[in-house]
Amino acid sequence: MNNTSQTIRVGLFFLLGLALAWITFESLNGGHLFKPRGYTLVAGFANLKGLKTGDEVRMAGVKVGAVQLTRLAPNRVEALLTIEPGVQIPADAVASVEQSSLLGSNYLGVTFGTPGGPLLKDGEEIKTKPTVDMSEVISQLGTLGSKLEQVIGEIGKSMGTGGEGGGIFSRIDKLVTDNGPKLTESISNLQDITAKIKNGEGSMGKLINDPKLHDELLAGVSEIKLAAADARSFMSDTKGIVADVKSGKGTLGVLLYDDATATSIKVKAKNLRELSDKINGGQGTLGKLLADDTMYRDLQGVMKKADRALDGMGDSGPITAVGVVAGALF
Amino acid sequence: MNHLTAIFGHIGGTLLLLVSSVKFIGTLPRQRARFIEQCYLIGYTSLPIVTILSFFIGSVLALQSGYSMENFGAKQFIGTLVGLTMARELGPVMVAILIAGRVGSAVTAELASMKVYQEIDALTTMNIPPERMLVLPRLAAILVMMPVLAIIANLCGWYGGALVCQYTHSISVDSESYFIALKTYMKPKDIIDGLVKAEVFGFVIILVCCYIGLNTRGGPREIGASVTKAVVASLILILVLDYFVTKALLFA
Amino acid sequence: MTAPAASSYTASPFVGRTFGVTVAGLNKNFGRTAVLKDINLEVKPGEIFCIMGPSGSGKTVLLKHIAGLEHATSGEVRIGEFDAADPETRNKVHLALVFQAGALFNSLSVYDNLALYPREHRQCNEAGIRERVLHALSILSLEKAANKFPSDLSGGMKKRVAIARALVMEPQLLLYDEPTSELDPVMSATLTEIIATLREQTAVTSIVVTHDRDLAFNIADRVAFMMDGRIQGVGPRADFKTPADPVIANFLNPVIDLKNPRFKQLE
Ligand SMILES: Nc1ncnc2c1ncn2[C@@H]1O[C@H](COP(=O)(O)OP(=O)(O)OP(=O)(O)O)[C@@H](O)[C@H]1O
Ligand SMILES: [Mg+2]
Repeated sequence: MNNTSQTIRVGLFFLLGLALAWITFESLNGGHLFKPRGYTLVAGFANLKGLKTGDEVRMAGVKVGAVQLTRLAPNRVEALLTIEPGVQIPADAVASVEQSSLLGSNYLGVTFGTPGGPLLKDGEEIKTKPTVDMSEVISQLGTLGSKLEQVIGEIGKSMGTGGEGGGIFSRIDKLVTDNGPKLTESISNLQDITAKIKNGEGSMGKLINDPKLHDELLAGVSEIKLAAADARSFMSDTKGIVADVKSGKGTLGVLLYDDATATSIKVKAKNLRELSDKINGGQGTLGKLLADDTMYRDLQGVMKKADRALDGMGDSGPITAVGVVAGALF
Repeated sequence: MNHLTAIFGHIGGTLLLLVSSVKFIGTLPRQRARFIEQCYLIGYTSLPIVTILSFFIGSVLALQSGYSMENFGAKQFIGTLVGLTMARELGPVMVAILIAGRVGSAVTAELASMKVYQEIDALTTMNIPPERMLVLPRLAAILVMMPVLAIIANLCGWYGGALVCQYTHSISVDSESYFIALKTYMKPKDIIDGLVKAEVFGFVIILVCCYIGLNTRGGPREIGASVTKAVVASLILILVLDYFVTKALLFA
Repeated sequence: MTAPAASSYTASPFVGRTFGVTVAGLNKNFGRTAVLKDINLEVKPGEIFCIMGPSGSGKTVLLKHIAGLEHATSGEVRIGEFDAADPETRNKVHLALVFQAGALFNSLSVYDNLALYPREHRQCNEAGIRERVLHALSILSLEKAANKFPSDLSGGMKKRVAIARALVMEPQLLLYDEPTSELDPVMSATLTEIIATLREQTAVTSIVVTHDRDLAFNIADRVAFMMDGRIQGVGPRADFKTPADPVIANFLNPVIDLKNPRFKQLE
């Protein structure tokens, strides 16, 4: 081996290594190995929710920069954002920590702000919006609960006093004593089912026992809020229904105040027993839901898709949301 | 008891060899030619095997994880898994094992035969410390070459994984999402940790192989025995050190 | 390639002084076997000192002690005022040892084998080294072998390269372990002349372990006779031409008796 050719080869080899290392770091850092280009913004939060160095900054779902550093400041945490050159962020744009995947990777979403307004400059602070908090959700659920209580109280009142032919409860009592043994069997079947659920078997069980899903549900808090609004309108509907029931109108009214129906319920209770047997045996849709976990996985897939859809929705506004949901789901 | 003292003796001897070699660090510029020769032997000539091996390690990793991650619908994270595993663990460890087998054995064999055929004695009487002429250039060369080999191993492993993901029918994750997954969870620190590990392994391998070679006694048969001993010691040290270095790097 | 070439060999100025060697009460055991038993010797500076003796009597081991390659079980070896076993001594005394088996660097060419020492010790520039190396090679008729590797050399050539390598070192103390054992008669004579010439020019102390009576009885100032790890006798070379000790006499002038061979006497 000639000495100079050896030297040349070693030199080339080493340079190759350097180049590869450079390329690796360069592509990992999104092209900012030595000096981050673009400009820097500061975002202050009460809680970063696991946002970390290297996470993306997205505007309308498009990457416009990266989190360069996270640090503790007095009374808050700050994320230093490197924004790509040429990306203009209006001063009234709002940043918030968002989840990009169900498994917990985060990004910092930035809203459009007012186009044409004053722009943020290097080193300035961007407005932030706290991410929805667990405690907030719980307090919302609390008010919802008290309202429900109110409604149920009204329902109870109407049932307890009853009209002609005894109160609702005495009628139900009769229904129960007539069908006593059959119901006991159904209940023991139901106990079996709940035990399975507790042990985390089947989709329902997973749904209840899987902590990951719990987190995912948290992410859907905004939907819950919508649901709460729906619930409120449902309440007012319920009040109307209760009045109807009292006056013997509608199915429930007929069910409770009509003797002919009572006999048919006996037959139905027998069917119910058969049904619960079937459920326990994993037959039928509900049975599958309880005994088999494929549905759970399907459900997870759907949730992921839904999440993606919501993601798109958050950034692109409600008009296209329907299209996005449809696109993501199918 | 005797074994125990012998082990302590070897540890002490290895450390002394390290100290007496590093003592001559100032002579390195003069030993440029020797250093380059060792770089050539250690680094350049290991390139093909490192490339091939790490390519296939990455491929197999992708294949296996594709098979097992399918079960819980996490196929899109194959890139992350292959990337991090190669960079943090398999890249450095496989390169180290290759170096132990390919270079460590050669170093021990060469020094052991020099010892057996009295070349080391000749150097000593010529007042040329073997540590300066034989050990130091090798240590310096491995420190320079190991990161290069490890980076190449990483990239080959990643591309191996990407190819398998794309072209294996049961996996079919396209290489774009593979690399996105890889990049999303990979921090520069992961790569650097891997390089530090490779550096530590390489250095220890060469040091131990030099020590065992220089302490060979007897005839040609002992050369073979020393090589065996050196390779076994290197492999054990790689895996033991792997644990401790990883732990130190993770919680540093 | 005889006297004129040898006498043209000149030493470089760094050889300033010359050292004597003192061996006092030296014992060496390998495990349980005692190889050297109470050796006492005094080699004067500038002397040519020959050590003779049967194979396996411990000559090589003694030489290694002087070179600092072995450590005494008891007793000590001094080179001038320095302890031979102390690694520091090598920085103060430049010594060269011609190994019995040559001990050439197999990965280096003959030229590089010779050039290694001056290069490592930065004694002169590459041109000066080249001159010195080529000169040493020419003395031992090795010009053609300069670019060969040790594995491509004959046994005698290896020995000559080993000697040339020692000469290039321009040492203050030269130790030869059977330098002429593989040389042809002319080469042996050349080497004998070289050893004598070197001593004349640079007053280097030479300790020559040898079975070669011509070498010993022509140039040795004194001869020591070793037997089974002991010094059997020391004296000027003239004493050994007709040794009084029958053991030594029998060793130096064995009678070849085909009618009653030695190996049969042993049975
Ligand atoms: N490293 C060693 N370990 C054990 N025994 C040894 C060792 N070196 C030498 N010996 C023993 O010491 C004795 C003297 O050996 P040495 O090499 O000095 O003989 P020698 O006088 O040089 O013989 P020769 O003329 O054949 O070279 C021998 O019996 C040999 O077996
Ligand atoms: Mg000998």
